[in-house]
Amino acid sequence: MIPNRDFYTGLVATAFFALVLFVLIPVYVRVPSFIPGFAPPPDMWPRVIGWVGVVMGALALVLAVPKMRRRSSDQITPIGAYLCANRIFAYRFICMIAGFAAFVYLMPKIGFLTATIVLLAFLFIMTGDFTKRAWMIGLSIIFPIFLYVVFTEITHTPFPHGKWFSLARLLHLI
Amino acid sequence: MWNELLGAFVAVATLPNFIVMAAGIWGGVIIGAIPGMTGTMAVTLALPFTFYMPPVTSLLLLVALYKGSTYGGSISAILIKTPGTASAACTVLDGYPLAREGKGGKALNMALVSSCIGDFISNISLIFLAAPLAIFALRVGPPEYFMLMAFSLTIVASISGRSLLLGIVAACLGLLLATVGEDMYGSFRFAMTEDMKSGLGVVPVLIGLFALPEMLKLAIFRPEENTQAMKLGDNRLTMKEFRGSLKTIIRGSFIGVILGAIPGIGPSTAAFFSYSEARRTSKNGDRFGEGELEGIAASESANNGCCGATMIPLLALGVPGDVITGVMLGAFMIHGLTPGPLLFQNNIGEVYSLFIGMLFSSVFLFIAGKLTASGFAKISRIPQQLLLPCIVILCVFGIYSVSSSPFDVAVLLVMGVVGFAMMVLNVPAAPFLIAFILGPMFEDNMRRSLAISRGDLSIFFQSWISWGFFILTILFVALTIRREWQKWRSNVRAAN
Repeated sequence: MIPNRDFYTGLVATAFFALVLFVLIPVYVRVPSFIPGFAPPPDMWPRVIGWVGVVMGALALVLAVPKMRRRSSDQITPIGAYLCANRIFAYRFICMIAGFAAFVYLMPKIGFLTATIVLLAFLFIMTGDFTKRAWMIGLSIIFPIFLYVVFTEITHTPFPHGKWFSLARLLHLI
Repeated sequence: MWNELLGAFVAVATLPNFIVMAAGIWGGVIIGAIPGMTGTMAVTLALPFTFYMPPVTSLLLLVALYKGSTYGGSISAILIKTPGTASAACTVLDGYPLAREGKGGKALNMALVSSCIGDFISNISLIFLAAPLAIFALRVGPPEYFMLMAFSLTIVASISGRSLLLGIVAACLGLLLATVGEDMYGSFRFAMTEDMKSGLGVVPVLIGLFALPEMLKLAIFRPEENTQAMKLGDNRLTMKEFRGSLKTIIRGSFIGVILGAIPGIGPSTAAFFSYSEARRTSKNGDRFGEGELEGIAASESANNGCCGATMIPLLALGVPGDVITGVMLGAFMIHGLTPGPLLFQNNIGEVYSLFIGMLFSSVFLFIAGKLTASGFAKISRIPQQLLLPCIVILCVFGIYSVSSSPFDVAVLLVMGVVGFAMMVLNVPAAPFLIAFILGPMFEDNMRRSLAISRGDLSIFFQSWISWGFFILTILFVALTIRREWQKWRSNVRAAN
């Protein structure tokens, strides 16, 4: 366990719940002018959760400090140095998020089926192990088509066709 | 009663009924094992086919689908860390670590045996305890629900792992996300987009939280051991292991029966409740969450223990306890049967036939589970670099098929990233999950109770059921504080 991980987790939790309490609740939880009976208002419960989250996050942060002190300084890596040393992990993480975002964005444009084929190929590439290349290429194409046929036939799910292009329509024609 | 039961036995023991039950159980197991596809979906899809069947046969088909799908959820939970149904979410906690240790076959067998015993006890309870349990269920109102939920939430302390504080932080996040959408009085909370007005679905959140972080971990850290195929290992569940878990199975089954009989609770809550109780009382409690067979036994016996019990309020009072029994109520009506007290006077033959058929279905569940699990278990042998991307795609298809909503797919992917961040920051995912599932019930019942009592807090202490849960909650919180204090003091002593 890296002691400063608890410290940063506490910091992130405190900051997040403080954001919820002081920004998100006032903006996104509207209290109606009339509430039936003596029912508590809709912002009561999120506020309770927010305060508990802030207190617990702050406690985690405070309790991590003595642990960090007990360890010798060479065992503790500041987060900046850690990220610099492991830059490749950060790049891969950003790549994955970009891949997921591109999938959600492109799904209505190129159709559900094509988007899932591209996503599966992307995920195979991201594993970084290409010893089973033939399987990866085959599965990227066949597996989403198989699932598409199964879900369309059994549950009659109306998967979206693309605005630009639709592989599903092409398959229907074949 | 015994004459009627014997008559019903003869009526049910026909080839068409057996074929329908076997098909229903098998179909349910397969549907339950597919991430995103639920028992409700299975029962709803089968409803049109029942129009052309005799009443008892059609009801047996629907019940078989329900039972099969409840068990089926555990298969994907154990093998691919993706709970097929919400009620199997608890099974992931110990099932997947066991599969990683090469004991996937053993875990599947324990899930099957616990499910069948839970199911059988539930059916027996339905036959003999329908009336008293229905009366008990009627006495449970919003204040009692609130106290029950408060007690269930104390499980967070048991499943927080190494840090209780981080467990509570995770639970707060779960409770917060559960508030997204429209509340009970029509106010919108955190509805940043139009889609968020209807809230976040349980299935995309829980599948995203458990299934996707494994893919992200593989893609980002590329650990050597992750690219190897899992070994299925020893399949057999030994008599010693079974005996060691028997007490937990029986307790879990009765928890399932009692909570299943209360409308609105459902198998997910029962599974968490039973898991929590097993962890508190087991001598292997510390190993829960790291691959303990008793954990699977607790969760699976309780969720299948609910299956027969959810029929109690439906048959005895005409009140459907959850969505599935709501669909079944429709099936009863289609065939001219009106659930409620009069059903036992006017259609006693059909009622007993249903009871006997449900007992048979426990046997079919065991056979179908054995055959299906051995087929699914081959999944363990697929190398992770091929399996994990395919699971993500399966989840995407499954989630889209539930609601035909690209928003749910986006929620799935975002929750995958959140789950991965939690994994990296050492924040346990299990407390998040239980808080997300129980949170809405906790809040709704608290607000409903306060609305009924016009703001008077004494409403929470007006019945013995509320008092019972209140005392248990206080007792458990006190024990947790004592345990944490002792842990802190021993850490300080060790440091000095």
